[in-house]
Amino acid sequence: MSTDAQSGEDAGVEPEPEESEGPPMPQSTSETPSYDGEFDAIVVGAGLAGSAAALTMAEEGLDVIMLERGNSPGTKNVFGGIMFTPRIRELTDFEDAPKQRFVAQKTFSMLSEEGDATEVSMQPAAWKEEPHNDSWMVLRGDFDEWFAEQAVDAGATLITETTVTDLVREKGAIAGVETDRPDGRLHAPTVVLAEGANSLVSEGAGLAESQQRTDVAVSAKEVRKYDRETIEDRFHLTDEEGAAMHYFGDGAVGDAVGGGFIYTNKRTLSIGVVYSIEDAVHDERSPDEVLDDFKSHPAVAPLVTGGRMIEYSAHAIPEGGPDAMPDLVHDGAVITGDAAGLVLNNGLHLEGTNMAVESGYQAGKAVADAVASGRTDAAALSAYEEAMNDSWVIDNLNHYGWFLDAAAEDKEFLFDDLPRAIADAETDYFRMNDEPKTRHTKSARKRLVGAMGGYLGAAKKAWKYRKLFS
Amino acid sequence: MSDDWTIVVCVKQVPDAAEVSIDPDTGTLNRADADAVMNAPDYNAVEAALEVRDAVGGTVTALTMGPASAHEVLRAAVGMGADDAVLLTDRAFGGSDTWPTSLALARAAEELDADVVFGGEETTDSSTGQVPPGIAAHNDWAQLTYVEELEPRPEEDQLVAKRDVEGGYERVAAELPVVVAMEFGENEPRTAGLHRKIYAETDFEPVEWSAADIGVEDEVGLAVSPTQVGGMATAEPVPREQELVDDVENLADRIAEVS
Repeated sequence: MSTDAQSGEDAGVEPEPEESEGPPMPQSTSETPSYDGEFDAIVVGAGLAGSAAALTMAEEGLDVIMLERGNSPGTKNVFGGIMFTPRIRELTDFEDAPKQRFVAQKTFSMLSEEGDATEVSMQPAAWKEEPHNDSWMVLRGDFDEWFAEQAVDAGATLITETTVTDLVREKGAIAGVETDRPDGRLHAPTVVLAEGANSLVSEGAGLAESQQRTDVAVSAKEVRKYDRETIEDRFHLTDEEGAAMHYFGDGAVGDAVGGGFIYTNKRTLSIGVVYSIEDAVHDERSPDEVLDDFKSHPAVAPLVTGGRMIEYSAHAIPEGGPDAMPDLVHDGAVITGDAAGLVLNNGLHLEGTNMAVESGYQAGKAVADAVASGRTDAAALSAYEEAMNDSWVIDNLNHYGWFLDAAAEDKEFLFDDLPRAIADAETDYFRMNDEPKTRHTKSARKRLVGAMGGYLGAAKKAWKYRKLFS
Repeated sequence: MSDDWTIVVCVKQVPDAAEVSIDPDTGTLNRADADAVMNAPDYNAVEAALEVRDAVGGTVTALTMGPASAHEVLRAAVGMGADDAVLLTDRAFGGSDTWPTSLALARAAEELDADVVFGGEETTDSSTGQVPPGIAAHNDWAQLTYVEELEPRPEEDQLVAKRDVEGGYERVAAELPVVVAMEFGENEPRTAGLHRKIYAETDFEPVEWSAADIGVEDEVGLAVSPTQVGGMATAEPVPREQELVDDVENLADRIAEVS
């Protein structure tokens, strides 16, 4: 802007001092200025990836605008959920974040349709110490609103109730966005796509392929409210301690690749199921019926009985792994978070929030460097893709990418035969009758080995799944 | 009077009705639980104000009274297309009921040299419907309440309204200056344009006036408010009788019996 106080433009902007008596009159502002080119970057979606990108760029001095379709950030997502927080803790004053409980206890249970349950529970003492393994249960409505506020405090602009419908291209490069509002086109040199799992903008603009249904999971979740004491008694928790319970087997989600979960908040439980859309198509039950069946399993029902449902939601989760990931960098645009398919589910680890924040952060840094260099083509933005390839995010996705395919192949075994065989083996092994224990052990072993297809089958499966623990 | 009309639209920040709850012990609204939003009928008022401006020419100034956070409703109005906005903000206004509130708004409308003042028919947080008629009464201006449609007649300095009345409607012509209370849902409030919305929420700043600026410092606040809430009681919902009837004839018979 000109520093010449005599220039006509400046004189027009300065309010004239009131000559007459009375209060200052408002300046008529009928003309709407254009914001084309006023922002260095447009962030599509103010979820975790979007706010991490906006915060990072704003701190690097960029003018950033976030466009969010909900009436506030966090209203459009569905999430269990555990928030994994290593990067967020670096980016923010994390003590002030609205959190529910830290994960003090994790359980994994095999459930059979008949009502059997086998549970492995772990509560390492280290998780009770700061920073609690960076694993917190949060309510995303509160958390995302707070996280977006951190970006706004750093100087970013947040515009809500505005849906990006398409990308604007100029000479092949992405040069802005089209929104659902009148006068809805906005030009900027870079666009950060952080639109979430249902990545219609990226797909519509040809930056990502529409997802195969085998690569997408459906999640149904409800939040139920209880007394704080009820939750702490049922799950043996004190203070800020929380429990993350994961359930597998056909007692959890029937004949499908997936599982159920219960997460403890302060005064609510998040109870849900996640399973492949491919299986949902073939299941005669709807997701809410699958959720109801999970809640009535004898191992689950006592934990969730009573309370009052305060929220119900269903959502899609990208689970295509590394093969389904779109190109992260384009001329004038980068793709982050769920929109980039950055979700890890290998049965033991269910992660996405940490990858969303990490990708937003790395994208924000790369965009800031690119804007500073005056070029925002794919080559100038490639630092983002390189940083991701060097990071734990892509490393983990590659390492576990095989898992869901293997699980789909072995669905019958993993989710049906195995839980039942384990339950039957337990019944045999601990049986109280007039037979000697050696016979119980032999019978239990026979059930397990039989379920795995003999000793050779067991060896093959052990080899196949070795990378889960390597 | 000039050809262009000076239009003022009164808007109010209220707790989002979808989120608000009632404290069962005190009977008062838990306002803190809910986000502050623009009173729903005020969107119809802003739309009507903009339509009259677009037809006649002139300016629309959004006006509200409240704390600094009430900027947001003014920004919403400016986003939709209002040209200016004024916030009446002063500790002295605290505790005002509809009498001093409508006085302050009336004085501000006078200060702005308004030809037409718009308001929603009532607010969703107190539902008195008294403020628009109060503004008219304080300024001794004409008033048009429960308005469904408007027809401006600038050459005659008149505003003609189709008003909702018991059993139908009536058409009334009022001389300017006039206060209009728009009925909820009678028009389709426009969506803010993207650039206008960005402008309203970032670069736009409403003018702030104190009680002294409009000369009402001794006439507003709790002490001069003639009404006081004596107490609140919450009523338990009455169980309603329900019955399924097989067909229309039976239904007609049952209705005839009951009534």
